[in-house]
Amino acid sequence: MIVSIDWLKEYIDIDMPLDELADKLTIAGLECVVKEVGKSIPQGVVVGKVLEKKAHPNADTLSVCKVDVGREEVLNIVCGAPNVDAGQFVPVATVGTQLTPDFKIKNAKLRGEPSEGMICAEDELGLGNDHAGIIVLEGEHKLGTPYDDYFASSKILDIDITANRPDAMSHWGVAREIAAISGKIFKKAAIDLVENGPDINELTKVTVAAPEGCPRYTARVIEGVKIGPSPQWMVDRLEAIGLRSINNVVDASNYVLMETGHPLHAFDLDNLKDRSINVRFAAKNEKLETIDHKERELSEDMLLICDGTSAIALAGIMGGTESEVSDSTVNVLIESAYFTPAVIRKGSKQQQISTDASKRFERGTDPNETLVYAQDRLASLILELAGGTLAKGMIDIYPEPITAKTAELRIEHVKRVTGIEISKEECKTTLERLEFEVIKDENNTLTVTIPTFRPDVEREIDLVEEVLRINNLDKIPSMSRMTISVAEEYDKFHPFLTDMRNFFVGYGMHEAVNNSLVNEAVATSGIWGYTPLKILNPLSVEMNMLRTDMIQPLLSSLRLNALKKRNNIRLFELANVIERNDYTDTHAIEHYNLGVLFSAPVFGLNWTGEDKAADIFYMKGILEHLLGSLNFNYKLKENTNRDEFEILYDIVVKKAVVGKIGQYKMEQFEKLQLQYPLVVMELQVGKLFNWHNVKKQYDPIPQFPSIFRDMSLVMDKTSKAAGIFNEIKQNGGKYLVDLVLYDVYIDDEKLGKDKKALSLRLEFRSDEKTLKDEVVDNVMNKLFERLKNQYGAQLR
Amino acid sequence: MMGDKYEKNCDMIKDTILEVQKQFKEALAKVQEAFALEEIKNTFLGRKGKVAGLFSMMGEVPAEERKDLGQLLNKLKIELQSDFDAKVSEFTSSSSKKEWVDYTLPGYSMPKGSRHPLTQAVDDMLSIFQRLGFDIAYGPEVETDWFNFESLNFPPNHPARDMQDTFYTEGGGILRTHTSPVQTRYMSKHEPPVRVVAPGRVFRNEAISARSYCLFHQIEGLYIDTDITFADLKGTIELFCRMYYGKDVKIKFRTSYFPFTEPSAEIDVSCFLCGGKGCRVCKNTGWLEIMGCGMVDPNVMKAVNYDPEKYTGYAFGLGVERMVMMRLGINDIRTLFENDVEFLKQF
Repeated sequence: MIVSIDWLKEYIDIDMPLDELADKLTIAGLECVVKEVGKSIPQGVVVGKVLEKKAHPNADTLSVCKVDVGREEVLNIVCGAPNVDAGQFVPVATVGTQLTPDFKIKNAKLRGEPSEGMICAEDELGLGNDHAGIIVLEGEHKLGTPYDDYFASSKILDIDITANRPDAMSHWGVAREIAAISGKIFKKAAIDLVENGPDINELTKVTVAAPEGCPRYTARVIEGVKIGPSPQWMVDRLEAIGLRSINNVVDASNYVLMETGHPLHAFDLDNLKDRSINVRFAAKNEKLETIDHKERELSEDMLLICDGTSAIALAGIMGGTESEVSDSTVNVLIESAYFTPAVIRKGSKQQQISTDASKRFERGTDPNETLVYAQDRLASLILELAGGTLAKGMIDIYPEPITAKTAELRIEHVKRVTGIEISKEECKTTLERLEFEVIKDENNTLTVTIPTFRPDVEREIDLVEEVLRINNLDKIPSMSRMTISVAEEYDKFHPFLTDMRNFFVGYGMHEAVNNSLVNEAVATSGIWGYTPLKILNPLSVEMNMLRTDMIQPLLSSLRLNALKKRNNIRLFELANVIERNDYTDTHAIEHYNLGVLFSAPVFGLNWTGEDKAADIFYMKGILEHLLGSLNFNYKLKENTNRDEFEILYDIVVKKAVVGKIGQYKMEQFEKLQLQYPLVVMELQVGKLFNWHNVKKQYDPIPQFPSIFRDMSLVMDKTSKAAGIFNEIKQNGGKYLVDLVLYDVYIDDEKLGKDKKALSLRLEFRSDEKTLKDEVVDNVMNKLFERLKNQYGAQLR
Repeated sequence: MMGDKYEKNCDMIKDTILEVQKQFKEALAKVQEAFALEEIKNTFLGRKGKVAGLFSMMGEVPAEERKDLGQLLNKLKIELQSDFDAKVSEFTSSSSKKEWVDYTLPGYSMPKGSRHPLTQAVDDMLSIFQRLGFDIAYGPEVETDWFNFESLNFPPNHPARDMQDTFYTEGGGILRTHTSPVQTRYMSKHEPPVRVVAPGRVFRNEAISARSYCLFHQIEGLYIDTDITFADLKGTIELFCRMYYGKDVKIKFRTSYFPFTEPSAEIDVSCFLCGGKGCRVCKNTGWLEIMGCGMVDPNVMKAVNYDPEKYTGYAFGLGVERMVMMRLGINDIRTLFENDVEFLKQF
């Protein structure tokens, strides 16, 4: 919202610098900056005096002038204007002036005569269209003065008004704030109305059928107005705050709105059927064409201003075309009303229009003094600008007057909240300057009446804010000692996640952050098969559901990177995935998950010549590292439900599937021309966090030496390593502490067709004694016998 | 018979010496790993080893031959020991390897991972608040209207709701528009004192542009106890800013409006780039808006059955993206959610 400083001065003296004023208003809650509007003359244009004028030797229309701009050197300027003459004070654009973005004044020669600047006409300075001659200043002037100084272009405050302060959306409101800050007196214009016309009740009739939407409605009538342009002062005022002048009546109505903050409406009385007004809610299927020439379909909770037969305005939001004041209007009905904020807000949301009126009504206007003042003020302005005769009396329908509330302010409570002492006297002064009335002052407690233009103030705490924000907020000290309350328990989840993030960073992975909002295709192909939760009012169909897994969004990130020809992609992300579940309040269950995706080499090209791809086995190694360090036992169970995977496993912990790990079929991503296998993993880390155990006590350090035994087994190529491992682990006896597979060898000639050899190293150790070879040999023999029987394995 | 007295003569022993020497060299040549050396040492050079065995034969040769034999055996012992030492050093010191190595070759390339600047900033900020004694709390991203708005003193049909454009989900939920519902969620489960910060994703139904995204991260702070004042709030925020931006940072409070705090304020910090002189980042104002805060509104306390006459408290909330973008000079917020590895790997 914009207020003009010039205009503000009608209501308040401003004697502090504007920047300081803006700072103080900002701290008090009206965040604002000082701006200049109007003409701005480029730097370099200064006042000069023409000392001498001579005809140009080579051109009839040009003259050569000596111009003094207050410098040591007198300038030589060639001028084409017919009106230039010696003795004139003129604006001079000196060398270096950037007159327009593509016109810079330089030293030049015009028809052979040197010219060191330009004497300017109106249009050249952007001050008008006149190019008939140069501007000639009246009177004597100091030479060299920046010409800009002659234009007290109007200064404005551009203010961000918070949603709780409808009262501040006017020059009055800002003036009142300045009064509170500076102690200057806020004064309103006096109104002297002469009611010369007939009784208003003879001219019109008002009924309010919906008092719940319109608690107060007032009307005045002026007959015989003459619609015409507004005087210049009015045009200037409105233009300074960004409003276009329309005609004297409409301008007057806007003027009073911007002055008092109370929206008004002027109707052409002759266009009202039955010359009457009725305020009611819309009927089913009712329509209205508003002044923006839109045909609007109205719902039944839309409040309307109607005439004898039909709707003529959306109450508090926008007028209709038919009753609009036009050039032919003679008789005017002025509406000043109070509409219920929630009703106006609903209507404006529904019709998707926000106007200067609706913005104020939906936040809450003053139903009392301001409403009546605005009515009278508009009537007097119309009479002044458009003439006419004011009917006697004002129609005022206000069945249940809204009375001012009172609240108490305990002075010690101010300290309890703010931490600083604000004296009772200061509290009282501030509140009174803000037009609160102190009606009782007892026991260090002020009882105040809250003005009805301040709907945001109701309670003691609101009064505390008032006395704090006016001149006290920056007085709160910066504490160097504070007490803290100690929590019983401190969160461990975040550190857990941080560790996990650093774990993956250690594997050379980049942490990603993906949008939670995805399209239907992404949401429905989630790895968990959850039903997605839909957004009812999405920004676009590309973001109409919540993600159901981590992998699909990571695949989107992969695509983006692959299209940019990045081919070393390792990403992980930690975030919530959402499962629709109709048994919760919000129909959602959130799972905090980890997603990992890579299509990358283990190390990348290097001089050893090895450029191994990171494949499913690499991911399995990472999983083993991660879950192992969290002390989890887990199993991998092959999952054959997803065709797009070359191999996919469910990760099972405590009999629950807590994750997925898999490698995609390459042909699924042919278009991306990936250079390395695409491997993914997803883990429900929120669940794992709840389950994981921190190791509580150490295991004794082994005292006795280990015995290592190698075993190389030849078996069918299709025998599964996992089975062999299980077999060995289950039957290796209590001394088996480790098992490593260190070679897989396939050679049809040496081993036989469809055979393979697995080389395993087993480590045996006892915590009580040095193991004897015979004991270990015995175990090894038994193991071999089992493997021979179960898998047909032979020793190599 | 003199000769009968001695079972062996020098020549016989010389053969044995040669045999031992041969065995030793063969054994040494076979050694592949360092641990096998120990065995050789024991077998040949040890106290009960074969060389010692030869020395013990000295008594079995005639006295006049003993001197020669002694010299022979010493020579053998020295030779074997020296061969053995050479072998040992082959294993222990690569410098004895003859093969020339180019040590100027680069190290094996290890892929370098990186944290996302957003989660890193969240971590940095949380760790500061943890040092100030705050616990961490969490809340759901799909919220109820009650927690997101009503409990926070946003009445239905109040224009304050327009401050936050909301996504509605099927079944009556909403995507939380701020982390503030964690306040009332936490308070409804804990008795005062409460002192928590809550990080998380929040959502706004705003057109996506360089300046705004439908998703961003916030950190919420809440402290409720007896005797908590605005001065505590100011002190805490100043401390946070000094720890995050450096000790010379200046901060400024200005009155603002949030339904769930009263009085409410916005906090500006002096621009970290220009120190307050005015630059591109701060749009020549010298100040950067970093968070909103205020004293917890009595209506919020009442919503969770806290007694506002007994307790006071403060709350604050900051937007992580804004702070990260200012810090890193990122002009387009979408950069943070694209996951281009050329962007990610910079951090």
